[in-house]
Amino acid sequence: MQNTVLRVKSLSKNFSSVKALNNISFSINQGDIFAFLGPNGAGKTTTLRILLDIIKADDGQIEWNLDGNAHRLPKASQIGYLPEERGLYLDIPILKSLVYLASIRGMDKTEAKKSALEWLERLGLADRAKEKLQVLSKGNQQKIQFIASILHKPIFAILDEPFSGLDPLNQELFIEFIREINNQGTTILLSAHQMQLVEKIANKVFLINKGEELYNGSMSEIYKTFENKKIIELHYKSALNENALKNFKEAENIEVIENSIVKLTFGQNSDLKTVLSNLAQLEGDFDISTHKPDLHDIFLYLVKNH
Amino acid sequence: MNYIKQIITVTRWEYSRFFKPKNEAIGLIIMLLLSGALYFGGKYALSESIPEIKVFVLNDNNGTLTEILKNNFTVQQLACGQKDIFIKGLNENKNNVLLDIKNGTIELYAYKNNRDIKRLKTHLDIYHQQIEMQKLGLSAEQLASVLSPASTKETFIIKDNSSNRLILSYFFAGLMILAVFLSFAYQFTAITGEKQLRITEQIVSAISPQVWMDGKILGITLTGISSMITYSLLFILGGVIYFQFTGASVLTILEYLHLPSIALFLPFALIGVLIWNAILAAIASVITDPNNSGKSSLMMLPVVFVIASFLVTRDPDSGLSVFLSWFPLTSATSMPMRWAITEVGIWQLIGSFLILLLTFYLLRKIAAKIFRVSILLTGKEPSWSEVYKFVKMK
Repeated sequence: MQNTVLRVKSLSKNFSSVKALNNISFSINQGDIFAFLGPNGAGKTTTLRILLDIIKADDGQIEWNLDGNAHRLPKASQIGYLPEERGLYLDIPILKSLVYLASIRGMDKTEAKKSALEWLERLGLADRAKEKLQVLSKGNQQKIQFIASILHKPIFAILDEPFSGLDPLNQELFIEFIREINNQGTTILLSAHQMQLVEKIANKVFLINKGEELYNGSMSEIYKTFENKKIIELHYKSALNENALKNFKEAENIEVIENSIVKLTFGQNSDLKTVLSNLAQLEGDFDISTHKPDLHDIFLYLVKNH
Repeated sequence: MNYIKQIITVTRWEYSRFFKPKNEAIGLIIMLLLSGALYFGGKYALSESIPEIKVFVLNDNNGTLTEILKNNFTVQQLACGQKDIFIKGLNENKNNVLLDIKNGTIELYAYKNNRDIKRLKTHLDIYHQQIEMQKLGLSAEQLASVLSPASTKETFIIKDNSSNRLILSYFFAGLMILAVFLSFAYQFTAITGEKQLRITEQIVSAISPQVWMDGKILGITLTGISSMITYSLLFILGGVIYFQFTGASVLTILEYLHLPSIALFLPFALIGVLIWNAILAAIASVITDPNNSGKSSLMMLPVVFVIASFLVTRDPDSGLSVFLSWFPLTSATSMPMRWAITEVGIWQLIGSFLILLLTFYLLRKIAAKIFRVSILLTGKEPSWSEVYKFVKMK
């Protein structure tokens, strides 16, 4: 049986009159890649900051168990943190910054330097180790930020929006890195918007909206729960008439993407004959495709029905 | 990683960020070159700016005035009928001056008043004294005796209020102003810069705000103290060179370096700079936009208190001086200054130092509390009432 390394129980937090978190609970096991998903303002970053004691919760319990004993707070050396609000010393050489950030987390300086150079080498930035961060492109600065969060080989890494600002190639690269550090034993708590990337690597998911839990379980379970849903996508080549979509009364969800794609979600009991008949009556030129709901579809469905 | 090790790591980081020996050396060389250029350039400029005046004397019948002036000015007698022509010619002969003696009054005619005219007037005073002396029938020696100060023989039990000690106390205050200015600059850059670069969240996820605040206060204080030591050594070197030029013994500098006063100044200065760094760090923590914040001007607050310490030199035993040497925002400078120039009891030293230590302990706690809450405030700047609430938070 896997060890539970983080247990969160009935966590609540208010900012003045705004309920940022309302009684949320979850637990993460050793070796998990735990996806923490929600729209902007859902309470994701607030939760992460409470976990790290950057801000205080109004209510609830947090229990870390990274070394076989339960603690309210983890040790700095056990945790890696990539904050949503990125920032590093722009006017200081990259290597020096990395070594400092690893050393305040308890890593030996010589080891930190060696490890930093290895990571820089892998990311193609070894020759720029002595340059100041400000001369790097934004994408490369993101890479340095990522290295800073995992350089000290943490047992548990919290990555808040690790893919934001990266191009598709670098997003794939980061997925590989996350997989790699996870395979080496680091448990990951991943907060991100890019569902298609998250579902490639996460084994557990927690969906949050307006500070409340929407779903908490394994990735396989969430697909299983929603496998009876059907998604029909209409790819319009001509102008889209949104009014005509009102005929699909049996659709549980209708999503229009960029005024050219319509996603219709139907439940298990929907009558396919009626659906097809309605589709045939739709005006305009469009292609039709169907697929099982992916994480993005499930997420939107749950948020809409919350 | 324990608390001490974390503080040492942060302190070393902050110190290495701001104390750059190479930049310090370059700054000192530039300062020396500028001082040299100002000294010699000023001397040259002043020497060239006013040409020597030529003095013409009228009605100096017994030649007394000419005799007094001839060693310092070019003096010439003017013929009686030449006066009007001379005055008309002053527009062209701008360096000429006429002195016309009339019934005990000297009429002076010149193109304009300048430094040489002032110098000339001091010699006219001597002339006046001689004339009055002749009227009274006094000899030169008799006049000198009348004008000389009272002859006294002074014996004091406490001999510490010498001018050398006074200079040393001014030097202490100067060093504190230097340290406070450096702290102001570095603390402001360090904290507001990190807030703007959004580094804070990453750091406080690894170490507590108290550790970070303590490391920052200590690191930047050490930077200020390092600069104080560098500039002190430079001034000592400057003093040695100065005494060599003036023909005095090189060892004269030792008369100014009263080691017990210096030994007392160092711990007081250290805690004083730590206190100001804690206050400056707290103020910088609540500033979200350094360019538009109304709180930025508060960063100059320490200078007012350090300058207030100069009042001690007017009367080191007055009630105000005693208060300044106990009040923790001024005592770091005032107490060593008082001690250098007057008698201060050991219990006063210990009491003042303990208050200073206690103040630092409390201020660093308050600074960390404010910092902890302000850390994630990047939009609206907190009001003073909000800052007060931060301080009261548990």
